[in-house]
Amino acid sequence: MKEMDMIKDIVRAYRNYPDHVAFVIDDTSYTYQEVFARVRGIMPSVRDCPEDIIGIMAEDCIETYASILAVLLSGKTYVILHPNYPDSRNRSIAEATGMKQVLYGHESGICQSLPGKIKCISTLELRDDNREHSLWEQVQDENKNAYIIFTSGSTGIPKGVPISRKNLNTFYAAYHQLGWQLGPTDRMLQMFELTFDVSVVSSLYPLTLGASIYTVGTNKLKYMRVYELMEDKELTFAAMPPSLLQFLSPYFDEIHVPKLKYLVVTAEAANANLLQRFRSCAPNADFINLYGPTEATIYCTAYRIPPGGCKQHNGMVAIGRPFAGINAMIMDEKGMPVPAGEQGELWVSGEQIMQGYWQDKDRSRQVFARFNGKKYYKTGDLCSADSDGDIIYQGRKDYQVKIQGFRVELSEIEYRTKEFFSNETNAVVVPKKEDDGGCQLHLFVETAPHERDALLCYLKEHLPVYMLPTDIHFLEEFPLNTSGKIDRKTLTTLI
Amino acid sequence: MEIEEILRELDTIFRDILKNENITLTPETTAKDVEGWDSLTNMRLITAIEKHYNIRFGLREILKFKHVGDLCASIQAKKK
Repeated sequence: MKEMDMIKDIVRAYRNYPDHVAFVIDDTSYTYQEVFARVRGIMPSVRDCPEDIIGIMAEDCIETYASILAVLLSGKTYVILHPNYPDSRNRSIAEATGMKQVLYGHESGICQSLPGKIKCISTLELRDDNREHSLWEQVQDENKNAYIIFTSGSTGIPKGVPISRKNLNTFYAAYHQLGWQLGPTDRMLQMFELTFDVSVVSSLYPLTLGASIYTVGTNKLKYMRVYELMEDKELTFAAMPPSLLQFLSPYFDEIHVPKLKYLVVTAEAANANLLQRFRSCAPNADFINLYGPTEATIYCTAYRIPPGGCKQHNGMVAIGRPFAGINAMIMDEKGMPVPAGEQGELWVSGEQIMQGYWQDKDRSRQVFARFNGKKYYKTGDLCSADSDGDIIYQGRKDYQVKIQGFRVELSEIEYRTKEFFSNETNAVVVPKKEDDGGCQLHLFVETAPHERDALLCYLKEHLPVYMLPTDIHFLEEFPLNTSGKIDRKTLTTLI
Repeated sequence: MEIEEILRELDTIFRDILKNENITLTPETTAKDVEGWDSLTNMRLITAIEKHYNIRFGLREILKFKHVGDLCASIQAKKK
């Protein structure tokens, strides 16, 4: 595979198309020239910071995106903090990474909740319009991290997934090789939260092409906004979670987006029937399912969904073939390949796979395994492979679920619940799939009937909104199964 | 129907779906003002409102709702 450098290509596109629109945010356009004036303005602060890790407050503003570019161009590592996260979550991420500098646009309020030794820098006024100032001077160290994404962790402390430049560039080359017919005139959607790694490709890949990115930020009614942009701005590329389509589905007869060239569904299992129904809204689009754990850098398999005869399992669209450079195996419980066509856990290896979780050797050991001399990441996803070599997704192995595209470890909710009860009671979260593809979280607590509000209030302080339970059930005694474990199946029947 | 009457009926629907008994809507209320009113619950709210009044909103129409007042006006017009 040809070696490629994403950041280098972004700088090249900026030089080639300085007057092209790079970002459209809330109806305001910013050319490549304008974006890079901000990038140059921010870079000195980043370079002067003795630490490698730079925090960025995720806001839907041009300064946030310019900050990401400035950190990457400076050869440093960015870590996203979020204004909507509970203070304690931002604080624990800041502490875990030891960051000393945070870049923010408008959301200065969050800075007060961070440890005092952190220097918060407003990027709003930072500009350098001198195009002579170079952007690309040092050779970038491929082993340095480009970013660390924090995902839900079962100990209550979010776990960090460090992605190196090597990981990112390997991903970039393989993603590019999928053969997108995209260029400087394309209009592409970026609707993912920056705390979620799919946002990295949605906001950086278009910049390698000289194309325009239309963002949708933490707007409370963002799904409506996505529809509005797709239709009014005639977007040509859109990557989204299938839940967005599910949400729009009662209105498919009103939606017409003939300019859309690509519809990418990602972040959760896509429903084959739903996509089929969307075909008439986007008659000229290729539909592609992209799959990948954060640990393997954004995406690592792709399935081009045919207009008829989509491969699926219980309605969930297949995830297709591994990216170039990714080695995928379907393994049994003993760590041996399953016979052809049988179900097992998907293991992936290659240069896209992270080195290990941020400062967590124990957990890293748990998720890696060796086979035939290669290091594999165990995805925890159950899959099978068919005779064409397409991988069919069949569900999560453990109790990790996806809510609105976010990965949620149920044990994190359980952990906080137990904490609220001073660890004196048991708590179990049972996910209940809804017919529309959504997922409800039912929290069971082993205690006499208790006041819900105080518990809910406590959970709100520590967990993002999407992790809050749909319902709370108090049970005097949990049902147990024959091996003495809490019987989750029986709990499900009590919902 | 009077706007005030619609508002109180909407209160009930919102309280039920957002599981919050403290919601009291005014014509100026927007999604920003109400905890839990987001993309996903919005659709559930719209569906519940459509069912309650036996009406149907278009997608473009929903997009134009800037606050609860717009929603009330639309319900009022449809129930005429």
